[in-house]
Amino acid sequence: MAYDQDLSFVYFGPTRVIFGVGASRDCEMEMAGLGCRRALVMTDPGVMKAGLVEGVLKALGDKCVGVFSDVPQDTGVGVVNRAADYARGKGADCVVSVGGGSVIDTGKGVCILLTEGGGLENFEGIQLLTRPQTPHIVIPTTAGTGSEVTCMAVILDERKGQKILIVEYFNTPRIAILDPVMTEKLPPLLTASTGMDAMTHAVEALQSVQREPIADGLAMQAIRLLYRFLPICTQNGADLAARGQVQLAATMAGWAFGNAMVGLVHAMAHSLGAIARVPHGIANGILLPHVMAFNLEDAAESYALVAEAMGVREKGMDEREAAEAAVAALRSFLGRIGHPVRLSEVSVTEEALVKASALSLSDGAIVNNARPVMDEGEVLAVYRTAY
Amino acid sequence: MAKHQAMTQEWLDAWKEKIAGSKEYKEIAKGWEGSVSIIVNPDPDKGIPEPLYLFTDYWHGDVKDFLICDKAKAESAKFIMSGDYARWKQVARKEIDSTKALMQGKLKLKGDLTYIVRNIKSVNKVIDLLCEIETVWPDEA
Repeated sequence: MAYDQDLSFVYFGPTRVIFGVGASRDCEMEMAGLGCRRALVMTDPGVMKAGLVEGVLKALGDKCVGVFSDVPQDTGVGVVNRAADYARGKGADCVVSVGGGSVIDTGKGVCILLTEGGGLENFEGIQLLTRPQTPHIVIPTTAGTGSEVTCMAVILDERKGQKILIVEYFNTPRIAILDPVMTEKLPPLLTASTGMDAMTHAVEALQSVQREPIADGLAMQAIRLLYRFLPICTQNGADLAARGQVQLAATMAGWAFGNAMVGLVHAMAHSLGAIARVPHGIANGILLPHVMAFNLEDAAESYALVAEAMGVREKGMDEREAAEAAVAALRSFLGRIGHPVRLSEVSVTEEALVKASALSLSDGAIVNNARPVMDEGEVLAVYRTAY
Repeated sequence: MAKHQAMTQEWLDAWKEKIAGSKEYKEIAKGWEGSVSIIVNPDPDKGIPEPLYLFTDYWHGDVKDFLICDKAKAESAKFIMSGDYARWKQVARKEIDSTKALMQGKLKLKGDLTYIVRNIKSVNKVIDLLCEIETVWPDEA
């Protein structure tokens, strides 16, 4: 395995992880361990309706001072500002997020505003904060985003009509509680697409220009677990042992990409999400093998590692052959988990592909791609192979 | 080639001249508009007793003001980048990549990262041109 001789990097992963069936019942004890007494619970209407918040509220008892459940699918600055006002009014001293990526990112925004004051629009940027923020406990209800252990939040600025990126070490969640029960009721397609989000985090971390040995190790194990256990989860959602392994994989992939970053797949998926409203995990899953084929010359060594983790690198294969085997294996994996394989299956128009190609070039992820991409024509060609 | 004291007005002038003279920059920076300030945190041991504020302004391939300025002027820029003296020295010597340094918390950015990424060629060219300046650093003088 070759790293540059002048390898230098920062690895950051301070989140305490609590894992196990029923672990969400420990929420109040974990909160007390942080010295907090007044929790705001952040969630969305779907999670509320699914009954996933009840157990958390019961565990928190009178330490829960309020529930903010108005988080939409793609959260925005206005939502965060309203939630922070609500939290301040309730005197909250910590946030407990129960939900997927949008809920967790809203929670991250509220933690900043509870400490720093003002509106979230003033915090667009990277590493601006100079002190620890309000403690954040995250209980994910999907297994994919990895947001429970990353310092990043992506939030729509409704006035500008674009998503803003906030990257702050000081705002990384303090505790992630991974309770397989919280993902038990996820339907098969959502299980598959969120799982492919995690798979994409791991594969893209391995090929990133910022890859490093710690993130590589986490990414490799995430791929092993996803390749083995995600098909079980899509076939039998009630298998909590498999659900747990996929949750752990998503968290490991979160640490991996939180440090090594992601690449072209994410740039293209973000753009498709903005223009054609394609769900992030589905866009990632469809695009992943096509971007891997595009990157093959520049990332053969990394993709050979993907093949090793999936157990498809046969004896005698050189790196390129192993990389090609990884691409083929991921294509057939999509079929095994019932994931869409073509963009044309998810109501994307060809016109949207042209717009998304241009937008992809301004996505922060693209600068970390193993193969440098400077031309929107190259991006459009990849979209078309996936169409 | 003349040597210039780092982070002084004459150093900024030399940098501005380099950029203004680059046909390649003029071509690739057609889409860039707006100012970037550089804040250097104080480090008395390395000859930086007070914070330094540098203001640079770019407009569609042309360069405008390049000034040593006060805090208020620096904070008026479209993008504000800040960091320790040693980090800026590493950037100016191309010992670290500025994008990586941002993500790793070695530098701070206030502003729209997507705009910078969309214009990453311009950003890299400006740094390349800075690296071409013969610089005398305060802690090496």
